Amino acid sequence: MGKVVGIDLGTTNSLVAYAREGVPHVIRDASGDALVPSVVSLGDDGTFFVGREAQRRLLTAPSRSVYSVKRFMGRGVDDVRGEAALLPFKVGGEAGGVVRIGLDDREFTPPEISAFILRELKQRAEDYFRDQGEFDFEVDRVVITVPAYFNDAQRTATRDAGRLAGLEVLRIVNEPTAASLAYGLDQRDRGIIAVYDLGGGTFDISILKVEDGVFQVLATNGDTHLGGDDIDRLLVELVLRELGSSGGSNRLRAEGASASLAEAREKPWRAEAEHQDTPYAERPAEEIQAIRKAVIAAKLDLTDAEETEIRMDALGYRRRITRAEFEQLIRPLVERTIQPVRQALADAGLEPSEVDEAVLVGGSTRVPLVRRLVSELFGRAPHSELNPDEVVALGAAVQADILMSGRREMLLLDVTPLSLGIETMGGVVSKIILRNSTIPASGREMFTTGVDSQTSVDIHVLQGERELATDCRSLARFKLRGIPPMPAGLPRIEVRFQIDANGILSVAASELRTNIAQTIEVKPSYGLTDQEVERMLIESFEHAQADVDARLLIESRNEAETVIHATEKSLRRPNFSEIATVDLQPGEQERIESALDALRQAMAGSDRDAIRERTHDLNHATQHLAEVMMNRGVREALAGKNVKDV
Amino acid sequence: MTPDPIAVRTVSTLECRNCGAGAPVDEHFCPQCSRILALGRHGDYFSFLGLPRRLVIDQAQLERRFRDLSRQFHPDYFYNASPTERLASLERSSYLNDAYRALRNPISRIEHLLAIEGLPSAKSEDPTTSSGSLRAESRGAGTAKVPPGLLEQVFELNEQLDEIRESRESGGDTATLRERLDSARKPIDLKREEHEREVESLSARWDEQLASGSPADRRTTLEALRERLLERNYINNLLATIDREAASLEARAG
Repeated sequence: MGKVVGIDLGTTNSLVAYAREGVPHVIRDASGDALVPSVVSLGDDGTFFVGREAQRRLLTAPSRSVYSVKRFMGRGVDDVRGEAALLPFKVGGEAGGVVRIGLDDREFTPPEISAFILRELKQRAEDYFRDQGEFDFEVDRVVITVPAYFNDAQRTATRDAGRLAGLEVLRIVNEPTAASLAYGLDQRDRGIIAVYDLGGGTFDISILKVEDGVFQVLATNGDTHLGGDDIDRLLVELVLRELGSSGGSNRLRAEGASASLAEAREKPWRAEAEHQDTPYAERPAEEIQAIRKAVIAAKLDLTDAEETEIRMDALGYRRRITRAEFEQLIRPLVERTIQPVRQALADAGLEPSEVDEAVLVGGSTRVPLVRRLVSELFGRAPHSELNPDEVVALGAAVQADILMSGRREMLLLDVTPLSLGIETMGGVVSKIILRNSTIPASGREMFTTGVDSQTSVDIHVLQGERELATDCRSLARFKLRGIPPMPAGLPRIEVRFQIDANGILSVAASELRTNIAQTIEVKPSYGLTDQEVERMLIESFEHAQADVDARLLIESRNEAETVIHATEKSLRRPNFSEIATVDLQPGEQERIESALDALRQAMAGSDRDAIRERTHDLNHATQHLAEVMMNRGVREALAGKNVKDV
Repeated sequence: MTPDPIAVRTVSTLECRNCGAGAPVDEHFCPQCSRILALGRHGDYFSFLGLPRRLVIDQAQLERRFRDLSRQFHPDYFYNASPTERLASLERSSYLNDAYRALRNPISRIEHLLAIEGLPSAKSEDPTTSSGSLRAESRGAGTAKVPPGLLEQVFELNEQLDEIRESRESGGDTATLRERLDSARKPIDLKREEHEREVESLSARWDEQLASGSPADRRTTLEALRERLLERNYINNLLATIDREAASLEARAG
């Protein structure tokens, strides 16, 4: 059957959790670390690194290392132009299409990058289950969390990422709702809960009503582009400004680093438009990443300390920063969360004083200013008993458990964060499903034709609260075909929109007079078609094989190096000629030396099998020598000691 | 008991797709094999929730009913069921959510009652048109025409708004304009409060007539309710216009 786990696919870090008998646990690696940094890096030999190792490579290979890819999920090139300019990796794609990330000479969509992270988490979970002695350790199905304010395209992109990683996404759950589920396990009382979730890249506020184990979301709001990343960027900009004015290093960015993608997709890493005042353009990517690392360290310090230092020895930069200064700098950002909170409360028909509990989720809620703001907003100290980094993954695991066990004590009833509508005459949006409707939700709209014998109709589906189509998010364009030829205005075509429990839309239509179902061609505006996902799946299998090959080659090389090193060490011993004369057979030394040469030659190439064979040969040739050396070592050790010490 | 004026429901029984047994339209699970039933064309939120067709409802009871049925239908509990049952669960859950949403709010509750009693309000089922080559059709007449009961207020307000707008554009004092806007708003606010009281008393009257009134009396009450809803839309539009003007004033002041 396989295991079903819960995954928090975060902007900065990702986690996997599993519920055993209803109790969720975060799955950690051997060193006890729960967080997998959401970073993917392409090595020079084509190997992919994910997590901690990829994070280290941000400093050494920034143009080949992707971070915060979640911000690009389900988005178009035009949406991300401003922020892409600040990233060290290439972000491009065709105008009006999905974002593409360039690594070396390969291109990836955000779901493909996310799939690497998901595969890593899947691997981690499977290793864990295997270590636990479970016979059935395979992980094939998951519950993945997304920001509550994610639109249809962003949710669909997340589901596609799961498919690409070979996982069936049973359910997409909103992060704040998942968090409330994890909290609800301990405090199964009734009341109104506000979940304030400020993560690495996104902000969500959800207002829930909990009663009889039903977690009913009343309203949700947020900002999919507001989080710790933005705090970091403010600090980086501060450092860059100061470096600029104090005449620090002013090297130009390496030439040609971003020139390999076709011109239409080229996105040189240069500050544009709103970022023109920052000196990003003048710095090499390695330097920016080093600064980013230093300011993040300072930010974390300021959670507990009243002041700290941003220190960059390589750039000769040191700066004291107090918490007051830090707070003054980030206050406008943090205050951007107030309006969504007020809107969510208004939509829920509640006053702040009617909220019984406020819960903090997301790493950025460790910032003291954020905590103070939440206390002020709700007039009470917020809860943060559970680790804000882990609580979402725990909730996802609980939801996975509910789906698999069929237990009905707890039920999540979530809402759709944005209204769904279609474009009508004059580019005006006609709303069909309103925001904060409990999902699953459905809506119907009647259409007719404008021309005699018209057999198809174009429909443009949008998501958003604004009146005009141009101000809303384009989700998809549909063509209704197969309308029976009739005089204009006579057909009655019913189009049914269905939002499922994942917050993902599907559409069906039929002509009511003839009861003929219509075919619908779905063309997602900022997503991948099924065919594209299929093609990527095939490619990823091919690359997966290539990736495995590359990894195996590296392992063989490592093993060969170990043997070469040990052999050379023995041969270099000052008393080796004496050993050879006394203990070795005639010709043995020559056999060892020739095996060593053979392996060295194999190492110059990249034939893994040759390396392994020569390694084996050398091992075999040195087996006797190794025994000799060991015996001598024992004798030498004993020689210097008394009998009673032995 | 006299029959309801016009029945919207077209299907009176459901057929279980699992065992083929027939089931009353308001059943959710097959009486024979207890599988979840496909939704069919249900049209009555009250009966779906097992509630009487009343306008003054017990909110707590509605919520309990909603939670109970959610626990029975939700797709989370049908992951391992057959595709037919999964679809039925999705449809029933969606419909339940629609029903709960419509009945929770007193105004949409009235709108739904009018629809199932055969008096569709402003929100009709007229075909709309997409941005493409479709023919434009108005979505009901309710919003364009001024309801007779509001003519006087509308006339006065429009005049005042014109003046305020003019004065704002030619640089009139913000504080004075704000005051004038407030006083222009007052009669509309009053009208709205009066209106709400009327809707409440009509709702209570409907509930009484449901038990003991004649069909003609009930019809009169429903028509009065429909009239109030049309007025209500208009009043809300007026208030929105005032709010927009207030926002323009604040934007200028800020």
